[in-house]
Amino acid sequence: MSSANRVLFDAPGPRARRRIAVISVVTVILIVAAIGWAIELFARSGQLDPNSWVEFTEWPYVRFLLNGLLQTLLCTVVSAAVAIPAGVLLALGRLSRNGLIRRLSGAYVEFFRSIPLLLLVYVFVGGLPAIGINVPVFWKLVIPIIACSSAVLAEIFRAGIRALPRGQLEAASALGLTRSQAMRKVVLPQAIRLVIPSLVTQIISLLKDSTLGYAASYPELMKSAENLTAYTHDLIQTYLVVSLIYVVINLALSQLARYLEERQGRNRNVLRGAGSRRVRRVNRDVNDVVLNAQ
Amino acid sequence: MRFARTKSTPTRLAVAALAVATLTIGLSACSSGSTGGASATPTDPYDKAIAAAPVAPASLVSQNDWAKKIKAAGVLRIGGIDTGPLFSLKDPVTGKTTGFDAGLAQMLAKYITGKPNTALTTTTVDTRETLIQNNTVDAVFATYSITPARATKVAFAGPYFQSGDAIMVAAANKNIRSVADLAGKTVATEANSTAVTALESAAPTVKPLLFAQDAECVAAVQQGRADAYVIDQSILISDAVANKKVKVVGKPFTTDPYGIGVTKADPAAKQFVDAWLKKIEADGSWARLWKSTLGTVVAGNPPTPPAIGSVPGS
Amino acid sequence: MSTLASYFGQIMVGLGTALSLTVIGFAGALVLGTILAVFRIGPITPLRLVGTVYVEVLRNIPLLCLLILFVFGLPDIGIVFDLYTTVAICLALFNAAFVCEAIRTGINTVPVGQAEAARALGLTFTQSLRTVVLPQAFQSMIQPLVNVFIGVLLGSSLASAVGVMDLLGVAQFINLHQAWGIGLFAAAAAVYASIALGMGFLGGRLERKVAISR
Repeated sequence: MSSANRVLFDAPGPRARRRIAVISVVTVILIVAAIGWAIELFARSGQLDPNSWVEFTEWPYVRFLLNGLLQTLLCTVVSAAVAIPAGVLLALGRLSRNGLIRRLSGAYVEFFRSIPLLLLVYVFVGGLPAIGINVPVFWKLVIPIIACSSAVLAEIFRAGIRALPRGQLEAASALGLTRSQAMRKVVLPQAIRLVIPSLVTQIISLLKDSTLGYAASYPELMKSAENLTAYTHDLIQTYLVVSLIYVVINLALSQLARYLEERQGRNRNVLRGAGSRRVRRVNRDVNDVVLNAQ
Repeated sequence: MRFARTKSTPTRLAVAALAVATLTIGLSACSSGSTGGASATPTDPYDKAIAAAPVAPASLVSQNDWAKKIKAAGVLRIGGIDTGPLFSLKDPVTGKTTGFDAGLAQMLAKYITGKPNTALTTTTVDTRETLIQNNTVDAVFATYSITPARATKVAFAGPYFQSGDAIMVAAANKNIRSVADLAGKTVATEANSTAVTALESAAPTVKPLLFAQDAECVAAVQQGRADAYVIDQSILISDAVANKKVKVVGKPFTTDPYGIGVTKADPAAKQFVDAWLKKIEADGSWARLWKSTLGTVVAGNPPTPPAIGSVPGS
Repeated sequence: MSTLASYFGQIMVGLGTALSLTVIGFAGALVLGTILAVFRIGPITPLRLVGTVYVEVLRNIPLLCLLILFVFGLPDIGIVFDLYTTVAICLALFNAAFVCEAIRTGINTVPVGQAEAARALGLTFTQSLRTVVLPQAFQSMIQPLVNVFIGVLLGSSLASAVGVMDLLGVAQFINLHQAWGIGLFAAAAAVYASIALGMGFLGGRLERKVAISR
């Protein structure tokens, strides 16, 4: 992923390779032993009793969980679709030269990334209906998620923008680009690539934010797990299965992000003709200027 | 209560009735309660209880502003939970929520609108009063104990049920037999029940442990995190039937009156619901519902419902 | 509201619990997360794998799931910690994945040339990390790490869901008695928010202080 990774150490020599092989074997043995031991103890306390697992093979229960998953995904997709562009705008706002915009975006970000999401959900559940604003249950959950995660995303994008060498922006303006053009065509594309690991993490935590659905009476996956537990009394089994579902879904998400990241990188090298000629020229010229300056 | 799962067979219910018979103060005359019969639709005792519940004459509804609005909306908006065994539990298979509280809500909906249609907003300890005050729900049915503090914010119809907290301990535990033995012990209970306040007066030295769900409290007792679990006796009994590693001891040591929370702003609401409660208690609907829900684990005849307005705050 | 004073002691204990959980959880996450980050960028393949799998699994489970599994699952394999310890361990394990990613993001922002130059000077993996890459990466790690700290703080409020009387737990407990409802929750949330805001402010100052102008 990081190109810095590969330059931090030499290719290992024969002795290092032997040492690595030993560490590998020991690590694998330790991990397998630990897992085996845990399963053994687990079985001994009766948690592997087939009776406690059979419901996860029965369609009505599977359907119930799948429905919860669908609600979770719906909530995530809508939240992400709004929160990511909003986060970019807020990050740009915080770096704006207009003092008012800068202060307003700063205040928004500091406020919304600090207050507990649950409180905001409660505002939509309990506070706003009292003054006549009663949005549908879905939005009682999604609007607070958007409000909070756009603030966190803004901080991530800002960190990425600030990490870019100043020369990029300076070079762009030396080439006659306005500040907004430079941001759009030079800074942002590079900055977003820099922060992709944090970005994926944040999208995943956005998915997990939907677990607050219980407070808004929204039937997402965790709420479904609670229902299932109350009905079947199989606490550990249900939460293991649900955890597994979350892990699989989120892994798929990060793989998708990684794929996009790689494809974007390849496009820039291989498909040089893609994109408008002007953008291409700007990118090349900026790189030249930066190289010369260094 | 419906047990659609293959492993929850009628045998289990029979065991339940047996266990209870040996356990409770109740009458020894063992009821031959029909256990989850499977044939045409109206034979399910729960559905039958709802089907037999009364519908108000149109004139009665139109005279009451609160009920009139609900009838116009065509659905009763209720606050509650759907994870509470025996009182309000959603069946993941059918998607239907049943139980004593759920059934009462459906009966009230039917009384007003003619159909047992309810729309559930799930509530937490934090949100119950607020959802009534801000008119998100028409009524709260949530094993909702009537207390004077709560009555300053919402109006309580009822009490409709007298709950009694009992004690669950690990099957091997021989030291805890009554509430007196709880002194200094760690006791689990559900965070949204009033069992914790009841414990404070009955056994002030108890260290309470609040969990979100019934299943977690049971696990805490089973694993020794808590010495005991205190909540309504019927819930404990149904848990103990499903799990041989725990048992229920002693008699119920509290009398916790459950009420139906409605708005304080419109006195018509409480008045209407109180009158309806009196009606279903008199015509046998209440007893039929008890029999098909709590009566599936508690042996004997339905108890006498508490008198309406008999506790402070109602 | 005069009765609020009668709960003062409990509220303070709850606040103390929330804060100590946060500090212990964050410290644990910082140590474990750094180790994981070194695993993930280091030369030893199985350790890279361990780091990757750890991060991918832990950051993908909702914290509440993890808490429930630890509190009610561990006793079944013979490990019983008290609830407070279990929650602290969960917070550390869960957030270590995020610390690891924050550190990696920070390292990612250091231009490749810096690492190449360090290697060209003959520095080893550890030396180039310690003396060249990490100091430069530190600035862009601060905000993500502050985010993680705030995450630990807000995550600690889930402790009340598994029976630990933290600030939120105390608020819910008082609600059972007094039925103050969302107002009381909002007050508790305001306390969390002001701590988080304070941390965000400190983070911003620290970030400016260590800024490297390029």
